[in-house]
Amino acid sequence: MKKKTFAIFVGPSVFMMVLFIAAPLLSVLWQSFHVTQPVYEQVEVEICTPGLLGSVCTTEMKTRPLLNDNGKILTETTFVGLQSYRNVIEPDKLRTAIARGSWRDLMNIRFWSALRFTLVFTILTLPLVLGTGLLIALAVNNTLQRIKGPVIFVSLLPFIITPVIGALSIRWLFLGDGILTAGLEWWLDRDIAMFAQAWTIELMMYIYRVWHVAPFAFVVFYAGLQTVNNDALEAAIIDGATRWQRLRYVIIPHLMPLVIFLTLIHLMDAYRVFEEIVGFSASAHVISLQWLTYEFLLQDGTGARAISRASASAILTMIGIAILLGVPLRRVWREQRGS
Amino acid sequence: MKPRHILLAGAMAVAANMAFADCTNTVPVKTISNAFPAYEIMTGVMAGCGNVESELDKDHRLKIVDAFSANPSLYSMTSLTNSTSVPMIDADLLRPLDDLIAAHGASLNPHQFIEIDGKTMAIAAFANTQHLMYREDILSDLGIAVPTTWDEYIAAAEKIQAAGVVDYPIGHYMKDGWNLAFVFVNHYLGEGGEFFNADWTPSIDNEKGMAVLERMAKLGTLMDPEYLVSDTTFVTKQMQQGKIAMANLWASRAGAVNDPAESTVSGKVVMAAGLRGAERIASTIWWDGWAIAKNISDEEAAAAMKLIVASMAEDVIQANNDDAIWLAKGFVPGDAAKGAFDTAAGDAVPYPMNKYIGSMHSALGSGLAAFMTGDKDAAATLADIEAAYVSDAKEKGLLK
Amino acid sequence: MSSSALRQPMSLKALSNGFLAFWCFVAAFPIIWIAVMSFKTPVDAFDSNPFRVIFGPHTRANIGGLSIIDIILGLALAWILVRQAILWLPGKVAEYSPDGRTGIPWLIGGGVYALASLALLVVVLPAALTVLNPLLGPLGTNILGLTTGHYEAVWIDRGFTRNFANSMIVTTGVVMVSLTVGTLAGYGLARSDSVIAFWLLVVALVFRALPHSVLVSGYLPYFITSAEWLAPIFGDGAPTFYGKPWAIIAVLVAINQPFTIWMLRSFFLNIPAELDEAARVDGCSHFGAFRRVIVPVMWPGVITTGLFSFLLAYNDFLVTSLLLDAQNMTMVPAIANMFNRETTASDEVQAIAAAVSITAPLFVLVLVFQRQIVSGLTAGAVKG
Repeated sequence: MKKKTFAIFVGPSVFMMVLFIAAPLLSVLWQSFHVTQPVYEQVEVEICTPGLLGSVCTTEMKTRPLLNDNGKILTETTFVGLQSYRNVIEPDKLRTAIARGSWRDLMNIRFWSALRFTLVFTILTLPLVLGTGLLIALAVNNTLQRIKGPVIFVSLLPFIITPVIGALSIRWLFLGDGILTAGLEWWLDRDIAMFAQAWTIELMMYIYRVWHVAPFAFVVFYAGLQTVNNDALEAAIIDGATRWQRLRYVIIPHLMPLVIFLTLIHLMDAYRVFEEIVGFSASAHVISLQWLTYEFLLQDGTGARAISRASASAILTMIGIAILLGVPLRRVWREQRGS
Repeated sequence: MKPRHILLAGAMAVAANMAFADCTNTVPVKTISNAFPAYEIMTGVMAGCGNVESELDKDHRLKIVDAFSANPSLYSMTSLTNSTSVPMIDADLLRPLDDLIAAHGASLNPHQFIEIDGKTMAIAAFANTQHLMYREDILSDLGIAVPTTWDEYIAAAEKIQAAGVVDYPIGHYMKDGWNLAFVFVNHYLGEGGEFFNADWTPSIDNEKGMAVLERMAKLGTLMDPEYLVSDTTFVTKQMQQGKIAMANLWASRAGAVNDPAESTVSGKVVMAAGLRGAERIASTIWWDGWAIAKNISDEEAAAAMKLIVASMAEDVIQANNDDAIWLAKGFVPGDAAKGAFDTAAGDAVPYPMNKYIGSMHSALGSGLAAFMTGDKDAAATLADIEAAYVSDAKEKGLLK
Repeated sequence: MSSSALRQPMSLKALSNGFLAFWCFVAAFPIIWIAVMSFKTPVDAFDSNPFRVIFGPHTRANIGGLSIIDIILGLALAWILVRQAILWLPGKVAEYSPDGRTGIPWLIGGGVYALASLALLVVVLPAALTVLNPLLGPLGTNILGLTTGHYEAVWIDRGFTRNFANSMIVTTGVVMVSLTVGTLAGYGLARSDSVIAFWLLVVALVFRALPHSVLVSGYLPYFITSAEWLAPIFGDGAPTFYGKPWAIIAVLVAINQPFTIWMLRSFFLNIPAELDEAARVDGCSHFGAFRRVIVPVMWPGVITTGLFSFLLAYNDFLVTSLLLDAQNMTMVPAIANMFNRETTASDEVQAIAAAVSITAPLFVLVLVFQRQIVSGLTAGAVKG
């Protein structure tokens, strides 16, 4: 294919990605090294606010931003190097925590506790998602032809349901005396509060993620199972391979490219874990890296944002994903270059 | 179900018709506001005047600064509160309303105006605060006097807990983030604390701060252990389902806890003044109202002003008397408003209107949970929050 | 796998089917449960006793419900309708789709059928039963509390239809644009072995991994002020991006591009390159070859990819909630708004009813396209 034809085919797609992904990404990178602040002045003002019984007037010193000629807030931008990154990862506290050898101190630094949760979440749910997906795929493949359709339909439900709604529906089942919590209490005969401690919330988040994503792994594996070479299977049977050996030496190698594909997708999505934190109101106990970014981005009550720290935290998240993806990507790389 | 709906719609149409008899509007006006029921009522009246597009969005504060800096502004007017007014006034995005009030606002109460250096920047519609709501039946059964201070409240809660008549004696909006920080802010003010030194450096790491944390931890033991996810709605629901006996709750929820359609304990909940700390009532007074954009035509601004006045007309307020603690004329405080009025008549202060408290509130919001879960001790928590505030305020240019 | 050597022992079959039954229960339970909650008054919906939630005594006492005869007749009618949908509808659809492409006839036929069924179940049957119930004594007394009030409130009073229409606009737009742009790019990438193509794919993969919250909040100020900074180019007619569905469509398409081009590329890799080379020998340009050779055989892969685009657009919360105004709000942020305002318990049940409503179209979609998802994936879209 000629370069020009290629450019025409790929052009629109590249244009959109550059405009809406690459450009914001570059600006995030730039902002992580700079700080933009309004220029403030101190003035004395009299403020009257309504009370229920009459106005309340006070005179106070207020910090007010200066306005430029266009009536916009005057700002100045300074290069701060890695200061924002330092503010996020708090190296001083990190050093003290390590020197003391105190895990608790380390987990009291927000970035490191977010990193801890994000990594554990990503790595723990990966085998669970792959395993559950494979099990369902094998079981569906194994079941009566007649009920395959309905079973596939039901299995896909957790995947297609709107994530916000899915997380909320699980939450209603457990929050307060939600019926599943009530059921657990009745079964174990003790008082249970699922949202009161970190480990139960974390557990629910793992279960929710597996519930939500395993159907995707299932449908991909199921599609893969339809293309398993029957001759190879029969040859294995003639050689006297047991059921387990056939699975281990014929089916799983056949599905290996799909495992890589799912691993890549899962690592990317799980490392960005965010909906669970919102849906389960987990932020008091555990936070994730994207939550940390979001928290910096959130305006405080008076409309100011910590853009520089948010950018630094976002860039750190990206670096993390890049490192995690390195392993499976190396394989893809070799295959792509090889072919 | 259906007939009731039609009836309801009919009743609303009548009420609305009554209200906008003389407010016909010909200039296109766009409003953005919070999504409280009171705003639904007011924007409903405005819509009846014609040519009004309203956006009710609880995240409106994320948009209004950018939206009002556009020229022309994307909206003609917005709802504001103590805290959201700060960035709008700082960036000079609001129109001084004195001329418009002189021309169209004769029916407004003077104490509805938010004045900065003598210029009216916003018009409050209703007020809100936090006060005690308690189950009258339980307290009188157990012979407990209505608490007026937090210490009495805790003592009463312990008695109720010992009697075992409800699941948990109290509920409190201690959801991680803004709510949890708000509890601290109120209590710290109640103890007579000052958040800042004269140079705006933080000063919460002191005995008063420690006392507040100690009390918050104590309150935690008297609540549903899931209190770190409990927001105002959660507490309201606990009250409605009869799971708690007392709560210090937003006045805007006073109607809901006694609403027979939702509550299993309607009629049994009584309102009283906010509870006292060592120095004053540990509640803050909030105002909620409207402001008009600077970057719009004078014609549009005048239309917006007329709509604001129409939305607070006496008959509108009378028709929706119990839906808010209205500041406009026509409001008759009922049982539901008693707690709020007693709180205001006491010495509760308004929530501060400055940039520093915004930064401090965020620092508290992300720093307090570790103390409540027991991961950090009180001293370390306060020190870390001060450090977080300093780092945040420096990034935002508020501290050198 | 008909070989007798592949036959399985009973125990394994039982284990495998038992596991499947358990999984289906786990997969469906939360969704069924919120559907049950959405038909009760708040007092019942949030009760901690599951039987009270199911039977809804408070709902029954205050609003009404279903009698045994209602339930029996309702289930019978539903069963007949489902049976007809399985046995009769496919034939009818095939009749009206002469060229063998059944996607659009299915959508139309299925839609009409679903609406007709809904009318039968919700309008005709209840009307008949109001007459019947009083005549039947104990069989006609209500045993199951049920109210459709929350649905009425959501769809009629709160104007959820507008949100639904907005969702449809955004979703359709994203699917169309995303597939058009993505198919071209996917084909170009599949047929090029240049270094640029390789790096483009790697970069796209990195883009796929970006946290969205960062991107989205970066757009907000530019979207709101676009009329100002576009004025030098477009003059006074410069558009404001904020709140415009087409701007959202562009953003969602861009965010979804990396996944789309990877999927479609690996799909096109499975179409032998000899096919379009043969067409080009016959004198076609690259585009001609694409149109004549590739377009007719690409549908399984395009449908599968389109479904994923649909899900992304339909389910998106972050982008739509921040960049759309109330007039153009789609369903997901509208529901979130219902939760987050000063909610009362009835608001919350209304939001649950809305959540169930929003899931219904997804049900239909999967029901219709289920086979295509599996066959599309089988055809090679996941081999990359």
